[in-house]
Amino acid sequence: MTDTVDQSVQDGRRRFVRADGPDKVTGSGRYTADLQLAGMLHAKFLYAGTARGRIRRLDVEPARRVPGVLAVLTDADVPDVRYSPGVADRRLFARGTVRFEGEIVAAVAATTPEAASAAISAIELELEPLPPITDPEAALSEDSPLVHPDWADYDADEGVVRSGNTASFSSLSRGDAASAMAKAETVLSSRYVADGCHAVPIEPRAIVAQWEGEKLTVWTSTQVPFDARAGICETLGLPTNRVRVVVPHLGGGFGGKCGFHFEAHIAALARAAKRPVKLVFTRAEEFLAPDRRREGMTIELTSGLDGDGRIVARQGRLVLDGGAYLADKAFFPQLAAMQATGPYQIPNLEVEAHLVYTNHQPAGSVRAPTAPQGCWAVESHTDELAAAIGMDPVRFRQVNGLDTGTTGPTGQVYDAIGLQDCIDTATSMLDPTSETADDEAYGVAVGWWPSFSSPSGAYVKIDDDGKGQIITGAQECGTGAVMTLRQLAADEVGLQPEDFELVYQDTSAAPFDMGATGSQTLFNNGRAVVAAASQLADQLKELAANRLEASASDIVLADGHASVTGTPSVTVPITELAGEAAGGALLLGHGSSPELAYPTGTATCVGDQGMSAWLSPQFSCHVVKVRLDRDTGVARVTNVAAAHDSGRILNHTGALGQVHGGIMMGIGQALTEGTVYDDQGKQRNAMLLEYKLQTAADGPAINVEFIESYPGEGPAGAKGLAEAPNVATAAAVSNALAKLAGRPIRQMPMTAERVWNELKPSPSNNDTSITEEGR
Amino acid sequence: MSDATHQEGGADAARPISYTLSVNEINYPVTTSPGSALLAVLRNDIGLTGTKEGCDDCECGACMVLVDGQPVNSCSYLAAQAQGRAVSTVEGLADSSDLHPLQQLLLDAGGVQCGFCTPGMLMSARALLDRNPNPSDDEIRIGLSGNLCRCTGYDSIVAAVRQAADQLDSSTGS
Repeated sequence: MTDTVDQSVQDGRRRFVRADGPDKVTGSGRYTADLQLAGMLHAKFLYAGTARGRIRRLDVEPARRVPGVLAVLTDADVPDVRYSPGVADRRLFARGTVRFEGEIVAAVAATTPEAASAAISAIELELEPLPPITDPEAALSEDSPLVHPDWADYDADEGVVRSGNTASFSSLSRGDAASAMAKAETVLSSRYVADGCHAVPIEPRAIVAQWEGEKLTVWTSTQVPFDARAGICETLGLPTNRVRVVVPHLGGGFGGKCGFHFEAHIAALARAAKRPVKLVFTRAEEFLAPDRRREGMTIELTSGLDGDGRIVARQGRLVLDGGAYLADKAFFPQLAAMQATGPYQIPNLEVEAHLVYTNHQPAGSVRAPTAPQGCWAVESHTDELAAAIGMDPVRFRQVNGLDTGTTGPTGQVYDAIGLQDCIDTATSMLDPTSETADDEAYGVAVGWWPSFSSPSGAYVKIDDDGKGQIITGAQECGTGAVMTLRQLAADEVGLQPEDFELVYQDTSAAPFDMGATGSQTLFNNGRAVVAAASQLADQLKELAANRLEASASDIVLADGHASVTGTPSVTVPITELAGEAAGGALLLGHGSSPELAYPTGTATCVGDQGMSAWLSPQFSCHVVKVRLDRDTGVARVTNVAAAHDSGRILNHTGALGQVHGGIMMGIGQALTEGTVYDDQGKQRNAMLLEYKLQTAADGPAINVEFIESYPGEGPAGAKGLAEAPNVATAAAVSNALAKLAGRPIRQMPMTAERVWNELKPSPSNNDTSITEEGR
Repeated sequence: MSDATHQEGGADAARPISYTLSVNEINYPVTTSPGSALLAVLRNDIGLTGTKEGCDDCECGACMVLVDGQPVNSCSYLAAQAQGRAVSTVEGLADSSDLHPLQQLLLDAGGVQCGFCTPGMLMSARALLDRNPNPSDDEIRIGLSGNLCRCTGYDSIVAAVRQAADQLDSSTGS
């Protein structure tokens, strides 16, 4: 897959060389925790340690007296700012109340990590514990205490529908679901409950902050440097042009490092101490403190089928455990509602989704937020529907699934899309109807996910030796998306990707980009780089036209040369043109990708967050083979076939890496990854021995095919990519386990214990009701 | 990671000790607390930051180094224990000019994404091939199972190790 060289970007299978590769395999690449500055101090936080309580007394004076301590901060020491996108419900430090165990109460900076820890231990904090609000369903009742008693006073975007413990509400409705359900031949209801889980990048986050006069530089392990800068500026009252956010190599994110987190705490410590300050999280802190864990979710679905097995109506009710603060997830209820409909033709729809404040750790964007759980529920429900009418589950998806020209559940009409190709391809790669041993079964699931458009910018230049630089606001979190920008620029100007180096992850060097979030990097920044590089191409063609006495429109740039169309012998090396330009008009390009126009649907949306119709939608079908040890309930995925429509693939090596990684993450979520809370709302498994990721030894045989016949609106027909592989795997595993257990496993992760309980002779589970009317 | 120095034991237990560590065939004089972990001394005292800290609890393998050829989680291995032994880190894997076949093949196979697990993964792979030059795929997977990678799904890493085994095997003519 990597053995062909020097083809155009239209062939994404050409050899891919990571610009950051040598740094990463030799150990010379610097990550944030590797940085050392002269005079640098070490930061530690004091956390609430209690899910809900009132601060009765907070005395930090004993911490100030610990030798080596240069700064101690609490809410009293920072500007009086409530912040957060959507709803400003958050402060840097707790004020009066703590709402989850990882809430920061105080921060210290000291000359050694040991002195900082000693200072944290010296702080006197008296908390009056209050009964934590941990059940999202109970939190919705009118007599529930409120996580935010002052919620109505918070500044909020008008579009966020909220009330009491409901942090954000959305509904989708189209047609008349109640009437259609009443007339349906078959009606089936199911209920599924997914635990929350975590992103778990292998690099725990780290931050270094340094002031020089009135200017601040923050090195931080964030996926979204411009978002981090905005948070620093908002909370500390600084203009953007005096704050520089730099991301050294980033050791993974998966959404966990999206958003503004702890940069302002460390910047404030550095200002108070008049020294650079460094924070490095422990693994436990990485589990407990960020407001980006995957949300727990309860999904109730009722669907009606007509006599031909077509879905005529769906009703749904979703409750999302949002945790203590809204973070970035005002749009999650609507996105979850879209997942609860799935990529199906459903003429009558009524889905409501409640995102609920609780005293759990706040949830936020983790790779394809709401999708693994939502897809798991809807696809398990889909297998139940097929079984109820005796239809093959693949056939059921072919009949009801979206296809080119069909209308989706929210009234969006789809142009050329590859869902049916995905189903056909994946089921031919791994035939779910083939024979298996008694302890094995196949499961199939389909998934969908949008592409996100966002403004994004880049500069591209070529210097006098013909070597180029791409100066981009885009952020590389490991996927290779930024690395692929080299191909796009090189193809515009007839050079090789290796002729370009990247200047990236520095808010003071490059124009805005939304960051490594929403699979948007190549989709948006790729268009900006193409625009910038095409300006360079025009400049090179003008130079070549003069040199070769031809018209600029007749100049072709390829293989490092500018030539005249039809007369390849009349040619000049681009390096010569670059040298000429260096003495006159410089080779400089800038590109900005404006936001693309979003399609629309016809659904009525309360709490509309712009998620009911999707730009360049992506589709997938995963088929898995699962082996189950019936004595223990331990399941193992042995084979996976995955077919994806993510538009044209620009970088096959990188794309395969995303699908393989997403599948393994999905298997983890399916079988082992879930946060366990105690009855006081505190996490019980905030460590890697208790929160089990998949290892190399757990890996199944994975085969991947890309359906590239349906171009998206990204550069060269690309769509987004990196989140979509994390949608359908858990659902496919569920459908295999349901066959083995004889009934669905209605809780995720589908742990050995939960599976084993379902294997017991008497059904323990009455969460499905089927009525077959008129039969 | 070095909080232990402030916990148990009297003044003697915390008194710094001086010794020499051999890392990648270079001798480094160091003065550390007796309780200092090898990882901390490599990163903070010697200045080799290629070895990463992912959990400080032997759970992730990002800190894997070789001590006399054996893979150890350096977060939980006392630096003082490494006296008189040969410590190998990712910085010593390549010759001065060329990448080690494991490094090059890992890049070619797409086995590097965020790169944070990569140094530890490379050291585990090297130890595996040193003791078993022709491992099966299952043996590779088991040999790497102490190293968590969240990005790749492991297949590309396993493929790279298999290719490296073939390449090293043919270059030694065995």
